[in-house]
Amino acid sequence: MSNAYIDKFPAEAKVVKAAFYSSFLALALGGVFGVIQTLHRTDIYRFIDSADYYTVLTAHGVFMVITFTIFFLVGVFTWAVTTSLDRGVEDIRFTWSWVGLMTIGTVMAGVAILAGFVDSIDISASVLFTFYAPLQAHPLFYLGLVLFVVGTWVAGADWFRSWWAWKKENPDARIPLPTFMVLTTMIMWYIATMGVATSILVFLLPWSLGWIETVNPLLTRTLFWFFGHPVVYFWLMPAYLLWYTMLPKFAGGKLFSDPLARVGFVLFLLLSTPVGIHHQYLDPGIAEGFKFIAMTNTMFLLLPSFLTAFTVVASIEHGARQRGGTGYFSWLKSLPWRDPVFAGMALAGLLFAAAGFSGMVNAGMNINYLVHNSLWVVGHFHLTVGTAVALTFMAVSYWFIPQVTGKELWNRSVALIQVVLWFIGMTFMTNSMHRAGLIGMPRRTAEPQYTGFEFETAVGSVGELNAQIALGGVLLTLSLVLFFANIIGTAFGSRSDNLPDNGYAEALSGSDDAPRVLDNLKLWTAIAVVLVIIAYSLPLMSIVDRGGLFGPDITAFPANLESVRFLAFAVEHLGTAALESAGTLAWNTLPEVIR
Amino acid sequence: MNIHTYEKVWLIAALLLIVGFIATITYGSVGLGIAMIDDSEETVEPSELDEDFGEPRVEHVGENEYEAYVIAQTFIFQPDPIEVPANSKVTFYVTSRDVIHSFSVVGTNINTMVIPGEVSTMTAEFDESGEYGIICNEYCGSFHHTMEGQLHVVPEDEFDMTELSVESDDEVELGNETTFNVAVENGMLDDLETTVTFEIGNETTEEEITVSGESTEETTFTVDSTELGEGDHDWTVTVDDYEESGTLTVVEDLEEEEENGGNNDE
Repeated sequence: MSNAYIDKFPAEAKVVKAAFYSSFLALALGGVFGVIQTLHRTDIYRFIDSADYYTVLTAHGVFMVITFTIFFLVGVFTWAVTTSLDRGVEDIRFTWSWVGLMTIGTVMAGVAILAGFVDSIDISASVLFTFYAPLQAHPLFYLGLVLFVVGTWVAGADWFRSWWAWKKENPDARIPLPTFMVLTTMIMWYIATMGVATSILVFLLPWSLGWIETVNPLLTRTLFWFFGHPVVYFWLMPAYLLWYTMLPKFAGGKLFSDPLARVGFVLFLLLSTPVGIHHQYLDPGIAEGFKFIAMTNTMFLLLPSFLTAFTVVASIEHGARQRGGTGYFSWLKSLPWRDPVFAGMALAGLLFAAAGFSGMVNAGMNINYLVHNSLWVVGHFHLTVGTAVALTFMAVSYWFIPQVTGKELWNRSVALIQVVLWFIGMTFMTNSMHRAGLIGMPRRTAEPQYTGFEFETAVGSVGELNAQIALGGVLLTLSLVLFFANIIGTAFGSRSDNLPDNGYAEALSGSDDAPRVLDNLKLWTAIAVVLVIIAYSLPLMSIVDRGGLFGPDITAFPANLESVRFLAFAVEHLGTAALESAGTLAWNTLPEVIR
Repeated sequence: MNIHTYEKVWLIAALLLIVGFIATITYGSVGLGIAMIDDSEETVEPSELDEDFGEPRVEHVGENEYEAYVIAQTFIFQPDPIEVPANSKVTFYVTSRDVIHSFSVVGTNINTMVIPGEVSTMTAEFDESGEYGIICNEYCGSFHHTMEGQLHVVPEDEFDMTELSVESDDEVELGNETTFNVAVENGMLDDLETTVTFEIGNETTEEEITVSGESTEETTFTVDSTELGEGDHDWTVTVDDYEESGTLTVVEDLEEEEENGGNNDE
């Protein structure tokens, strides 16, 4: 009998497994669309119409950074809360309800996007991951996103429920570190999603259903980025959680400092949201002063990442020394590089450091003119979400999947090749994307080959850059194939009793060293809200004042479709019916409540 | 809370780095004057750009100072190409007629989002002549990748904002006189001293004119058809590098020819 997660929490293991498999399905779809793009835009192999490229791009973006990352996150967070509180979820049906909501939401948004390939269906959502109005998607797309986000809200409530129940039984205990990380991340998420929820529910969805005529493009765009920057931390936080609480364990050591890990997460909670305007440095209609505030906040956001870099490196050095490593740098040789889980996570961290440097350039308000919306940015986020997050998730899956299935990993060598291949593929792809961005090559385009001018490279050539991007894309695809082979191979394996124990890393400097105030979530929430109000109330008021709540007279693009009217009719009637029954219910229960 | 000495050093170094970054960016804004795109322009109605924004155009507004009014729409930029002289300071005003675009001059740091209802403005200095591509780097629809334009920075001595137009008859009856009305528009602030050259048949007439800044000067050339004789006569009006040309047909009897369907537009 082993002591894996599935042995202790069989019901929760099913939830975590379902979340992971959903996320892998999205990863597979996103991967297919990814390789089509690298070959298409570099003009190496084009088999789709360039107009369809944008449907491919929307699918790649949404499946990768919404479905893949967030489904994996809910799996990791469920594991983290149950493991670190050492208790199952309060009500497994409640837990499945949010898995269901997220799944239905994904399917709706996915159908709306993919229908864009079929001309005979008048549904499309080729609006990219950012869905900037006046580009308009089918209402199904917006509804799907709403359900998905509501699902994550319910998931957060589930974890808070666990914590409250645990706190009753352990009134004086410190919040275990993994749970602390989950809770702070979710508070950040609740604050951040207010932006996108407002944008969709008040403006974009009613607009796509034809209930309101126009929207203010700058307002919906600003509300998107209110959510759009913290969402990148939402992808990153599970990776950080794993780097802090699991990587030291895989390295054979302990977490260097529990208190500073808490400080890091509190800083992310405080600073992730009031920085969104740094995505809008080049937007007209927003005063320079607001951009300056976003810039300084962004720079301070480097602090928790620097903290993480120190703690993670110190922790794995500790692990290496426990394994007999010595010297200034030769301890690096004592690390378990043949372990795919450790190797993948460490390589992900290494490329994340590179991403930090390109991120500093992006954050530099006036340097940003040079790289804004260029391929540089795509290079940047393929290092962050595409490597720091994705490679960490894939690598740690080699540990997690056995934990939640009770089966041994199919092949460790294939796993090691897979993570190394991802590292090499991303190195090719992202270095060339950064360089292509510096010569002005744009992102988000099917054909960056223009008739009136040519891009001038200082070193190398456009052909060489394209070759590197395509080669990188192909290696990444190969890496994905190996990943899925391993996951499927494992899934079809048989139960094993020879699994590592479930658990996470202990800390050298434990939670007893952390000031009590760090666990005061109400205080941090209040400060976070105040910071958001300071950073956003004036810009939002100014935008509404300038362009009006519903903006100027502009037409949606593409024009409204037939199926929309049916959906509008259905939503309206369902909505009315739901309100009526809710009203009746309230009316009937009210006297009882009063009594 | 115990913080390891190394970690303290690291934290302080990180904070210094952050403050250093903020300082360099502030220096870029204040010291070097790299201004951000901001909210200094009034909003416009995208459906009424003709009134709110006017024609897409380049204006001469001061010595070596120009203003370019650019409209982005699916999937073109107007005017195209944008022409400005070298050694000039150009302020761009860019807006959109439909969805969100960008206005990005490749190989420079002229780069802005273009949002319907808002006007982006930025000033750039062009020291040397050259040709640049302009692209839209924000996805704007199915043919986004075809959206491009040109910015021509022409040598200072080759640059002008002269426009030449000629109004004339296509046909004239033998024995009658006909007139060529030539209008020379000068978009620059300075006066334009130039020569209008009119050629028809073997005859050449020249006229010196002075067009004041931001105005139009008209001049007329009169031709006696008897001297030309019956038949087609090619004519040309030249002002500096600009040329207008056409053909004048002298006929014996105008009405009869018209009844026969004589129309020498073809």
